[in-house]
Amino acid sequence: MSDRVEIIAGERPIREINREIRAAVAEGEPVVVRDTLSRHNLGIGLAEGADIRFEGSVGYYCGGLNNGGTVHVTRNAGWGTGEAMAKGHITVDGYAGMSVGASMRGGIIHVKGDAGPRCGVAMKGGDIVVEGTVGFLTGFMAHTGRIIAVGGAGEACGDSLWGGEVWVGGPIHSLGVDSKVIEPEADEVADVERLLASLGIDGSHDWKKIVSAQRLWHFESRDASAWLMI
Amino acid sequence: MADDLTGGYQYPFPMPDEDDVAMSDGAVHGRPPGVPSSYEAGRSIRWTPDSIAEVHALSRLGRYQIRGFTTDNTRFPTFDDLTFVPASLTRLPLEGYRENCDTRTVLGGGRPDLVSAPLELGIPIYIASMSFGALSASAKAALGYGASKVGSLTCTGEGGMLEDEREASNKLVYQMTPSRYMLDLEHLRQADGIEIVVGQGAKPGTGGLLLGMKVSERVAGMRSLPLGVDQRSTVRHPDFLGADDLQVKIEELREATDYKVPIFVKMGATRPRFDVAIAAKAGADVIVVDGAEGGTGASPELLINHTGIPTITAIKAAREALEDCGMADEVSLVAAGGIRSGVDAAKCLALGADCVMIGTAALVALGCNSPRYLDDYEALGTAPGQCHHCHTGRCPVGITTQDPELETRMHVAAGAERVARYLTAMTMEITLLAKACGKSSVHNLEMEDLRALSLEASAFTGVKLAGIDRPFGW
Ligand SMILES: Cc1cc2nc3c(=O)[nH]c(=O)nc-3n(C[C@H](O)[C@H](O)[C@H](O)COP(=O)(O)O)c2cc1C
Ligand code: SF4
Repeated sequence: MSDRVEIIAGERPIREINREIRAAVAEGEPVVVRDTLSRHNLGIGLAEGADIRFEGSVGYYCGGLNNGGTVHVTRNAGWGTGEAMAKGHITVDGYAGMSVGASMRGGIIHVKGDAGPRCGVAMKGGDIVVEGTVGFLTGFMAHTGRIIAVGGAGEACGDSLWGGEVWVGGPIHSLGVDSKVIEPEADEVADVERLLASLGIDGSHDWKKIVSAQRLWHFESRDASAWLMI
Repeated sequence: MADDLTGGYQYPFPMPDEDDVAMSDGAVHGRPPGVPSSYEAGRSIRWTPDSIAEVHALSRLGRYQIRGFTTDNTRFPTFDDLTFVPASLTRLPLEGYRENCDTRTVLGGGRPDLVSAPLELGIPIYIASMSFGALSASAKAALGYGASKVGSLTCTGEGGMLEDEREASNKLVYQMTPSRYMLDLEHLRQADGIEIVVGQGAKPGTGGLLLGMKVSERVAGMRSLPLGVDQRSTVRHPDFLGADDLQVKIEELREATDYKVPIFVKMGATRPRFDVAIAAKAGADVIVVDGAEGGTGASPELLINHTGIPTITAIKAAREALEDCGMADEVSLVAAGGIRSGVDAAKCLALGADCVMIGTAALVALGCNSPRYLDDYEALGTAPGQCHHCHTGRCPVGITTQDPELETRMHVAAGAERVARYLTAMTMEITLLAKACGKSSVHNLEMEDLRALSLEASAFTGVKLAGIDRPFGW
């Protein structure tokens, strides 16, 4: 038995499950959720101090809109894990589906297996660490923040980045539109390695850092007069 | 030549002078009368002066043109193609100047189990989502205060929640666009409704556009964008694709906001009969259908002019879709796109909308296209009454700009009062028509209160043709 408040998800209404999670969090209790059945929308909008372990796999948006909670998924996670997270820490022991950390603004998401396509899409801050590989269009239109794919990246990596960085420790299938690989500075590498070490990951890799080539930042002119109708 | 037609006939006089045949005497030099009019400029319906100029523009720029405002496609049927047929003997009118006509409007009231705080408005009109970024902060605040005064609401638009607007608006709908700029749990929880955007009437199928001139420090900060970039937003949402995912997303938003506020889905009108059914099935409490006449802060001009279907045609299709899936009582329908007055709004209600939303008209009430600061219009190559230069960020009246100096021309208090009066006047127009049609609530306006003035309008909407009292049959 654990010293956590135990919540059995099963087939019960998601509203009921989340209400129980929130109630336990409000009491300052850590929670374990069992029988998760890959249910969608588990642990949405968690508050600072929440500490939830999902025993099993979860569906879409687990830990979505996280506002400071710690979430641990012991198996796999569906789409949009930790989407729009502002702060907090999410760990997925298995694989994660599409759009991990979509539009997140802060905090850390750590996926121990592989992550699907569009990892870190529209990301606006924070760190995503994937120990395995990431799928196609990783970092699509990300603004700021860091995506670290230790094992490698699929097609169109770093496509249409505004800002933000994609770090890849393994092979990259192809680069996306308007992205380029640059040589990272030593202190940046040290920072990445420190982050990985804090997650128990060996950070010594031949890192490739992908950033925006900034050709898509502008149509052609920043001068208003060029945009008068002619 | 047809010489043989003359059969060898000879005039009993000498052949006339060619100059005399051409009626040259007394004519303008070099331009004899009798030149066929088809040689005159601009007679081709295909190669009009405008379409010729367009090719010249494209061939000079090497790109499409971008602008703000709304469509100038003249082929759309308009609200003016419909007229009201008030009560006479078959129906009893209400006293227009005395009796009451209810204007209260509830959005998202059909699902008390999922929405504990539906939006209750005093009037059936609200202010459309127009982003801070497209609009100045002063314009946003003015719209908020004006709407609050008459019990209406405003909607954030793409760029996140602006404090000035949250403060000004008693009721504020938070818009969640695909770009998710500054999406924040606290902001979601401060909102009185949440709108998921899948499209916009002026440019369905494409995302937001804000040229670098308007991506000021404050705008860039809120959107976490590099200063001054030409922001071309995504059109697909980052974490859902199809209808099934949308359903999960809507549930997530309800979880995040504890089943309080209604969830809106806004779409550009393209295939409303099907799209509205999908949105309703996915769980939207309010569906906003924005017709092709809808306004924009900046879009490729070809999209403004040549995409989407007209508002009057979309409302009918949307209403029928809700009825077909048995969800008419559960889901509220909002219509938008090209609404200029209470008369247009009343027609939308009669066609089946529960409420209407105005964008451009609200800006005009604030002072858009007003004849002031003429030099600044001229500098943009335009004039009051024909300006569509919101995309440049050089709005002569301070509405669609981020330039601090231009923005001072947008007086918040005066703008708020103009918006409040305009919304009041629009509401009076609606109630005047409703009462003439014998309706004690504006929501009782119905198709039978309308007649179509053109075959097209009748065929598009199913409204009966004037005089014939039958819809154009297929
Ligand atoms: C200046 C301006 C900015 C707009 N910004 C947004 C926006 O951020 N998000 C959105 O969904 N629609 C936006 N719209 C579209 C409006 O929400 C609305 O759909 C449209 O204005 C309705 O048509 P109307 O202008 O004819 O009333 C904008 C429109 C204008 C005129
Ligand atoms: S006056 Fe301002 S708001 Fe109106 S069309 Fe011109 S630039 Fe746009």
